[in-house]
Amino acid sequence: MEKKKAPPVVSDINVTPMVDVMLVLLIIFMVITPMLTKGAPVEMVKAKNPIAMQAADKEDAILIAITRDSKVFLSPGNKQVASEDLPGKVRDLLTNRTDKTVYIKADKRAKYEKVEDVIDNLRAAGVDELGLLTEGRNASQAVAN
Amino acid sequence: MAMALGGGSGGVKCDINVTPMIDVLLVLLIIFMVITPLTPYGLEATAPQPPPPNTPPPPPDKDRTVVIVIAKDGSMKLNQEDIDVTKLQDRLVEVFKTRAERVVFIKGDPDLEFGSVARAIDIAKGAGIDKIGIMTPKIEQGL
Repeated sequence: MEKKKAPPVVSDINVTPMVDVMLVLLIIFMVITPMLTKGAPVEMVKAKNPIAMQAADKEDAILIAITRDSKVFLSPGNKQVASEDLPGKVRDLLTNRTDKTVYIKADKRAKYEKVEDVIDNLRAAGVDELGLLTEGRNASQAVAN
Repeated sequence: MAMALGGGSGGVKCDINVTPMIDVLLVLLIIFMVITPLTPYGLEATAPQPPPPNTPPPPPDKDRTVVIVIAKDGSMKLNQEDIDVTKLQDRLVEVFKTRAERVVFIKGDPDLEFGSVARAIDIAKGAGIDKIGIMTPKIEQGL
């Protein structure tokens, strides 16, 4: 009786577990990426000379998103608010704060009337520093105009 | 053994070649990892506050205040002077060359889209203006 021959030695690395892990990581990042944008999703203006606004990324940053159809969302919380309610709510948020900047994330095609209205109401809440969020510097440089 | 096909000692490989897939996956993974910590960018602006009551109004210095007015059709005016959008930045640089306090007010027609006003603010920032005040209807009424 002949002895059964052993299978040839496989000298490749078994990559299947690595592929599994990477696929999972990829899916995690794909799911997280759209969730990280604060406020309502709006199409922001492309600007050539924006400055980095690290503070706008903070968890407690006051961010007001104005969508194309003139809806106003107030973050933290990302709740839709009427612009008349803004002074009271923003004043509540601003108490005990040294940095009184409010960030406005307005859609490129939002009516300026609404933006003015929001700024007026913010002014009533005692805000004088605004940050108009735009698309990043790199993104803007890629666009010729 | 009799059946030695494929020339060899290696035997027939029945595994899919996963290396290109791994390449693609790694690149995708890196792309998503880079996108995630995107820092926000923005333009600074101010909403001018009305002077406190019981204070005398500031002396009129109309010639020193610079206001960019954007009309409904997107045309711009620098104070009273009609100006083309493309020339605005150079004109602003020229006006503010000798000034220490670089303040510009921007007034846009309510029927405009926010994008056109933001473009004017962007141009002003590009011209080195430190403070950009957004004029709103209520400020003009003095409220």
